[in-house]
Amino acid sequence: MSVDLATKSLLHDKLRFLITVSGVAFAVTLVFVQVGLFLGLMDNASITIEHIDAELWVTSHNTANIDFAHTFPESYVHRVRSIPGVARADNLIVWFMNVALPNGAVEGTEVYAMEDFASWNMPWNLAEGRLSDLRRGNYFVVDSSAAKRWGPFAVGDYREILGRRLKIIGRTVDHKSFTTTPLTFLDYRLAQSLNPSDLRGHTTYVLVKLAPGANVEQVRAEIRRRLPYNDVFTRDEWAKRSRSYWVDSTGLGLNMYITVFLGCLVGIVVVAQTLYTSTMEHIREFGTVKAIGGGNRDIYAILGKQAAIAAVFGFALGAVMAYAMRPVIHGIDLKLVIPPSLSILVFLGAIVLCLSAAMISFRKVASIDPALVFRG
Amino acid sequence: MILSAQNVIKEFTEGRERVQVLRGIDFGVERGEIVALEGPSGSGKTTFLSILGCILTPTDGQVVIDGVRADDRTLVDIRRRSLGFVFQQFNLFPSLTAVENVEYALNVKRVRGRGARAEAERVIEAVGLADRKNYLPRDLSGGQKQRVAIARALAGNAPILLADEPTANLDSVVGTQVLEMFRDLAKKENRALVVVTHDPKVRTIADRVAVIRDGQLAA
Repeated sequence: MSVDLATKSLLHDKLRFLITVSGVAFAVTLVFVQVGLFLGLMDNASITIEHIDAELWVTSHNTANIDFAHTFPESYVHRVRSIPGVARADNLIVWFMNVALPNGAVEGTEVYAMEDFASWNMPWNLAEGRLSDLRRGNYFVVDSSAAKRWGPFAVGDYREILGRRLKIIGRTVDHKSFTTTPLTFLDYRLAQSLNPSDLRGHTTYVLVKLAPGANVEQVRAEIRRRLPYNDVFTRDEWAKRSRSYWVDSTGLGLNMYITVFLGCLVGIVVVAQTLYTSTMEHIREFGTVKAIGGGNRDIYAILGKQAAIAAVFGFALGAVMAYAMRPVIHGIDLKLVIPPSLSILVFLGAIVLCLSAAMISFRKVASIDPALVFRG
Repeated sequence: MILSAQNVIKEFTEGRERVQVLRGIDFGVERGEIVALEGPSGSGKTTFLSILGCILTPTDGQVVIDGVRADDRTLVDIRRRSLGFVFQQFNLFPSLTAVENVEYALNVKRVRGRGARAEAERVIEAVGLADRKNYLPRDLSGGQKQRVAIARALAGNAPILLADEPTANLDSVVGTQVLEMFRDLAKKENRALVVVTHDPKVRTIADRVAVIRDGQLAA
């Protein structure tokens, strides 16, 4: 055991320590919230793709993302079904439709329509109602998040979609899209009948489930051969493509990078400034360390340890603040996704940030003249 | 001779001029000897002490300490191994207790663990501060702070102790007590002690008085 001058000196001035930690915490919170919101939005952008139990997606040519679908003949599904290695293939319609609300307003909804939702794990979180009832009439299931746009509703209520009165027979939870338009789930034929001009005889996707042991690339190649004017994606490719569209087309990614950069910059400036001021105030002590036989490395170790301590406490405080904000953010219908990998990355970033900030002080102490200890 | 300086010259640049502060000083101290280094303000005695303490390097001449010639490669090692300092302003670490101040100096000298703590407690006791060992410097009087500083210099068995105006910030009675204690401990452990001072009381504990005037040792 050695005397821990770094820690004792850091904690000796509690106010300065608090300011340093606050600087780091601010940067950490900003990064967590910005990246967490970004990941939350990205999560929404591909959440249905990741939940639907399809290994391959057949889309119309050059479809940019799952929300902005284009139609193609629904009969293509038969060509897919006949390919060896395909266990099941079904049509899926994803389409925006208007909903007339009781107050006279018109809102949008993103319709997912299939003949047999249950076989595709869709919807995956049904809070009320039965999917099998969808085929029995003018019914639909809607996500709970619709209440924000549509106002309060309950199972058993009616809403008008594209001019037809439909009954709400179920409610899902956490089914969202990047556009924040509420998701509704309809029977496939009902969706086509609501918008016959666009959808009659047409679908927007063919979902493909492979037979056990089937080779994905072989099946995909055969689908491409039989449907030369369509695209075929694996689930991961399609999810990535859908996310990338929003990142690239909206500047969301750039916005996140700029905010993260600014957050880190503010953190570095605050930490560098407080560490530097602290170093200047303790310059005589560092001179003493040198005079009694210490070298620059001894002083670097003190500053480095102080920076690391500030990073650890700052990270902890910042993480607590970010986690505390999650319910608030959830309350405004946004998701703050903080995976363990992000936490590890931000922690390492905080350490690097603080050590970088300490570098400025390193330069100062390297030039300390130990003779200053003799000055009165 | 545990410490010797030969023809030490030190020049500083002030603006465009070169100022010669030390003009060829020859000086030596034997083990167990106490030397008072006196001189008027600006005579160069603190600069000379800094060179003896391997904190500054001379412009010309050489310093040999405990058999090692001081140069840029050996300065830090000599300070760590062979020298103990006592400063006018005490220069204690305000966040460390009395005993920790001493122990930290030992840590810097690469003495760690229980051995360091035991040695720190031994010297703190030797300077009469056993009952104040866990006090922070802010809770100690000037005399007590200087005792801690002396304990720090003594810790690690450095053969040479260098003190810069150790009584300047102490009242007369306390200053005398500190000097006598310093002398007794240095003599008891056969250490060389060089004290830069204006204080005539230092003469009473010194074996020899050297006077620097205008950058040279007066006869």
